[in-house]
Amino acid sequence: MIELLAQAPPPPSFWNRPPYSPELYVMVIGTIILGLALFFGLTYAPTRLKRPIVMTFTFLSGLFYVLLWLVPTPLKPKEPGELPLNPVDAAGIWFSDALPRVADVAQILSAFLLGLGIFSLLTIHIRKINRKQTDWGFSIVLLVSMVLMLGFGYADWIMKEFRDPLGLLQDSSNWTFVNQMSDLLFDGILQQMDAAMFSLIAFYILSAAYRAFRVRSVESTVLMASALILMLSLMGGVAYAWGQGIDALVIGTGNEFLNNLKITEVANWLRTNMQAPAIRAIEFGVGLGALAMGIRIWLGLERGGVSA
Amino acid sequence: MQYLDTGPFGILVTLMMVAFVLINIFRAKGSKGLYIRRIAGLNAIDDAIGRATEMGRPVLMVPGIGGLDAVSVQAINIFAQVTKTAAQFTTPIRLCCADAAVYTVAQEVIRDVYQKEGMSDRYDSTSVQFVSDRQFAFAAGVSGMILRDKAAATFFLGAFFAESLIFAETANAVGAIQVAGSTQTSQTPFFIAACDYVLIGDEFYAASAYLTREPVLVGSLVGQDWGKLAIICMILLGFVTMSAERLQITNEARVDDPDKGTSKIVSVAEATKDQFRERRKRASDTVVHRIFNPIRTEEALDIKREKDPNFVPPATNGAEGNGTEAAGGGA
Repeated sequence: MIELLAQAPPPPSFWNRPPYSPELYVMVIGTIILGLALFFGLTYAPTRLKRPIVMTFTFLSGLFYVLLWLVPTPLKPKEPGELPLNPVDAAGIWFSDALPRVADVAQILSAFLLGLGIFSLLTIHIRKINRKQTDWGFSIVLLVSMVLMLGFGYADWIMKEFRDPLGLLQDSSNWTFVNQMSDLLFDGILQQMDAAMFSLIAFYILSAAYRAFRVRSVESTVLMASALILMLSLMGGVAYAWGQGIDALVIGTGNEFLNNLKITEVANWLRTNMQAPAIRAIEFGVGLGALAMGIRIWLGLERGGVSA
Repeated sequence: MQYLDTGPFGILVTLMMVAFVLINIFRAKGSKGLYIRRIAGLNAIDDAIGRATEMGRPVLMVPGIGGLDAVSVQAINIFAQVTKTAAQFTTPIRLCCADAAVYTVAQEVIRDVYQKEGMSDRYDSTSVQFVSDRQFAFAAGVSGMILRDKAAATFFLGAFFAESLIFAETANAVGAIQVAGSTQTSQTPFFIAACDYVLIGDEFYAASAYLTREPVLVGSLVGQDWGKLAIICMILLGFVTMSAERLQITNEARVDDPDKGTSKIVSVAEATKDQFRERRKRASDTVVHRIFNPIRTEEALDIKREKDPNFVPPATNGAEGNGTEAAGGGA
């Protein structure tokens, strides 16, 4: 297992104590004790205290990112042995050092939560198989696939990362049964099924477009007309013929304004003057909504739902 | 963040928006009955659940495939309201998650909803499911669930990508009422084409205020509207000042060095290699442009920190000793 944990040593800081140093051991033991205290504390905390505890943690976590955003990031990373220019520079350096550690904590939490997700999946499907519920055969397929993918995927990774110092496994002719199975399961089956699901979208677009573009109201008529113009403008033959027709009209009438009626021009106008501003306006609204939501969660102002 | 990228303007605007939201939250705490315009997609929730109850089929909810962020939290908040109504009608629910963190939070929230409604015995722990964190595996799993369970109402709210249309069309195939909303502007058209009701843009964030009429949420919504008004005013102001400025003649020009990331002000003659001494202001010469793109001088980027006299360089021989000597070693 030691090779799994092996990694290049990062520069020492508050977050990276030197390897094998007493400080590191003290920090590891302290963190374990703190973690256990937090775990049992949260488990046995009275219900009325749980909300303030969650709110405090949410606030502190949010505060880190708010300060990270407000404190200027150093333009030049600090080299070992350099002194910060001023307190703002020192704070910026500290936050830059701390960010990967905080991200690590989030990743560790996610890993635990993934375990819960897999537990949910196993519970549901094992129960389905036990009770022989409708389509229980699919559940067997899922569980077998999961075990095979985990087993072969992990074994393949170990072989390629740690048991192949000469890089012989880069060449598929040197692959063992494990490597071939891993490749078959991932590239041969999973990726292909992903591609098949993605391909279904082409058919769904057609059926959805048929329903959406039926002229039932003013809105759907406008939608259909603008979509038609954009689609026609992307067809080379149509755009060319349309352009030729407009050119002939311009020559015939001498009115150069008519050039604006070329289908590529109309489509471009729709994109830049209708579509882009509308999308930007929606994104302004979404951004403000996310900001307000973030503030409410951060400050614990929201009642009900997640914050409850 | 880097202040040199956007200048202090970006921070000031953001803080102003934050202030708008907070001021209105505290204003709204004392007032009642603030008006929110009708949102058809949210009015349809009760109808959709009623239909599911009549048909004896489940209501299916998907909070998108994003991680645990403001979008999925808002989706779960809306689903909490949907579940509350479904619990009152004893309509079964399915909530499918693609992210383990979202799954954990959703499970807690849904259980709480049943408990608060005094119906803990009706809560089915398998009603909230983690399906897969792979996009199309999730799409296949949820589509299968929609087809097998013949969901009568589906709610697709959150961060969706290419799988949005797969969900919407599968649900349409089983005749489900669909309420959808995505913060991804690229997916909203697909939902509009395929679903019965769609929450567009910030309607998604307005949903919990609309459904609960909580003063805090409604106040925050008013704060967002103030923010939108401020943005409209800034756009108009920027449009007028920029247009007016570009009519002016200048003898100074801004020159950017994209390689070094620096910029400087030089005479027009220098910038155009003596071709012209004056010219009309370009967009890059305007105040509006400078607000968003402050000038980075070479001096500002040339940072020299003093050396720490007490610094001991780490050993590089892989020593397994103790203390700081081993800090850089062992690679």
